[in-house]
Amino acid sequence: MRLKVPKTERRKSTDSTGRRIFRRILLVGIAVILLGLSGTHLLAVITKNDALNGPGNAVSGIMTPIQNGFSAIVDGVVNYLYRLKLRSTLELEYNNLKQENEQLVYQAMLAAELQQKLSVYEDLYEEVSINESMNPLVCTVIARNEGNYFSSFTINKGSNDGIDNFMAVTMGGALVGYTYDVSPTKSAVRTIIDSEASIAALISGSRRDQGTVRGTLGIDGQAMCRMYYLPEDHLPRPGDLVVTSGVGMSFPKGIPIGTVRESTRGMESNKQYIVVEPQADFEHIEYVIVLRYKPDAEAVQSQTGDGTQGMEFTPLDSPMPIPTIKIGNDFYQLAPTPTPSPEPTPTVTVPGSTPAPTPTPGGGNSVEYQVPLDQQTDSSYGYTLAPTASPTPTPLPLDVSVEED
Amino acid sequence: MISKLAKVVALTLLAYLLQTTAAIHMSLWDVAPNLALVLVAVVTVGLGRKYTFFMSLTIGYLLEIMLPVLDYISLILYPVCAMLGALAFSDKSERRLEEERSTGKRSITLHAHIRTPLCAALSVTVFEAVNLFYISLNGVAINGGHIGRALIDVIYSTVLSGLLQFPLRWWLGVYKLKKAR
Repeated sequence: MRLKVPKTERRKSTDSTGRRIFRRILLVGIAVILLGLSGTHLLAVITKNDALNGPGNAVSGIMTPIQNGFSAIVDGVVNYLYRLKLRSTLELEYNNLKQENEQLVYQAMLAAELQQKLSVYEDLYEEVSINESMNPLVCTVIARNEGNYFSSFTINKGSNDGIDNFMAVTMGGALVGYTYDVSPTKSAVRTIIDSEASIAALISGSRRDQGTVRGTLGIDGQAMCRMYYLPEDHLPRPGDLVVTSGVGMSFPKGIPIGTVRESTRGMESNKQYIVVEPQADFEHIEYVIVLRYKPDAEAVQSQTGDGTQGMEFTPLDSPMPIPTIKIGNDFYQLAPTPTPSPEPTPTVTVPGSTPAPTPTPGGGNSVEYQVPLDQQTDSSYGYTLAPTASPTPTPLPLDVSVEED
Repeated sequence: MISKLAKVVALTLLAYLLQTTAAIHMSLWDVAPNLALVLVAVVTVGLGRKYTFFMSLTIGYLLEIMLPVLDYISLILYPVCAMLGALAFSDKSERRLEEERSTGKRSITLHAHIRTPLCAALSVTVFEAVNLFYISLNGVAINGGHIGRALIDVIYSTVLSGLLQFPLRWWLGVYKLKKAR
């Protein structure tokens, strides 16, 4: 039995055979061409015959532009990848430097903070060391009450550390306030700008007029002080230093409170006052020094006598305000019209004249607060709070009027 | 068949161009891989010896024409290395398989994906060995540095062939062919 092969199958078989033959011819052709080219090249190399380099040159001519283009593409890709790598490296470097910069900034801030703390500690140490006889104690402010009417804060030391009520609290060589409501582990401090605070004070200078300093926070809302009960025959000048007088509370005398802001006297409830600008910086109180000073009986007695014991009082020639000139940082008092006197009398206050030394703690009477050198302010007379060990050289008077009969 | 031939021609051109332009940028420890032999190895296992011969001869010829280093070396070395690899790792012919079946002798047949890197390793090893032999004949003492570079080349090329075989075999249609079978 003969099987009938369909026409399509027969055609497929014919196509397959034809394709196979074509493929073989193609492959053989390619092989021949390749071998021919290779052989020609070998012959050209061996025989050194340039005529045989023709096929090679032709292939080279075809390949050169292709390779050119491909090389450009590869170079472009490589450059792009290189740029990417460079960018990532730069970004990495940038991030590293940024991080390093942040660390350095942080360290710089830390160093600045530590520097400031060190400076504060140095000031505290100096203040403590020169007022060691007043039994100072460094305390940290742990709470603050800065209202519109009252100003007080709490410190971290109390009666366990020997703190008692009404002890002077200083900072930076100036009076901040005094302690009250002392408990074993903490104390409250009422600042001098609080209107509840009342401290006996005097204006440093030749007359050393005494009065009472009170805060004005509760009166007019300003962080200032007012000095009441000043003698009516004296007109303080702006810049005069107001210090504690040591009368009343167990305050050492000579602690700077502030400076007179203006000579004009105000009137409050029939009481005259002058405005005193506090010297302490109430905005930045971190550490304070409590002077655990307790005057001995002799000092108390001397203070309660006439209130001027232990102080050098320099009487003025005239109750009228004295004309003053300022040369450099010093004020010089000019004498009023001199009256004839039998003996020549210099009528000019010598600039830089040092008041008579006040009794030192070892002396028995009273102890005067020593302001650190770098925290002293210029008083109107060049007044030195601390008694100088050796007399300072006295400059020549500017104007000495001497009249003789 | 035509498309396969066209693909092989394109791959041959690509192998040559990559070998002459891109290989240097792919250096690892200053050793460039032999991309031409890597692609030849893929074709060897995927398409057989005929295409291997055409491809390697064309690459060798083009290198000899365009980038002559030494006389005849590229023209001879590339086909020789490629054919050695093909001899060892290409698919066995129908006749060979039939012969093995008739004699009852069964040889181990590795998977194509393993044979491709092995083929590349063999080709590149032979290539490097001939080059080392040539420079030693020229009076250069072979030291550890030479051997190390040759080893890096072999390993690098082997790894590349292992990676590149998948997209290339897919492009050549080898996987499709397997499915049809």
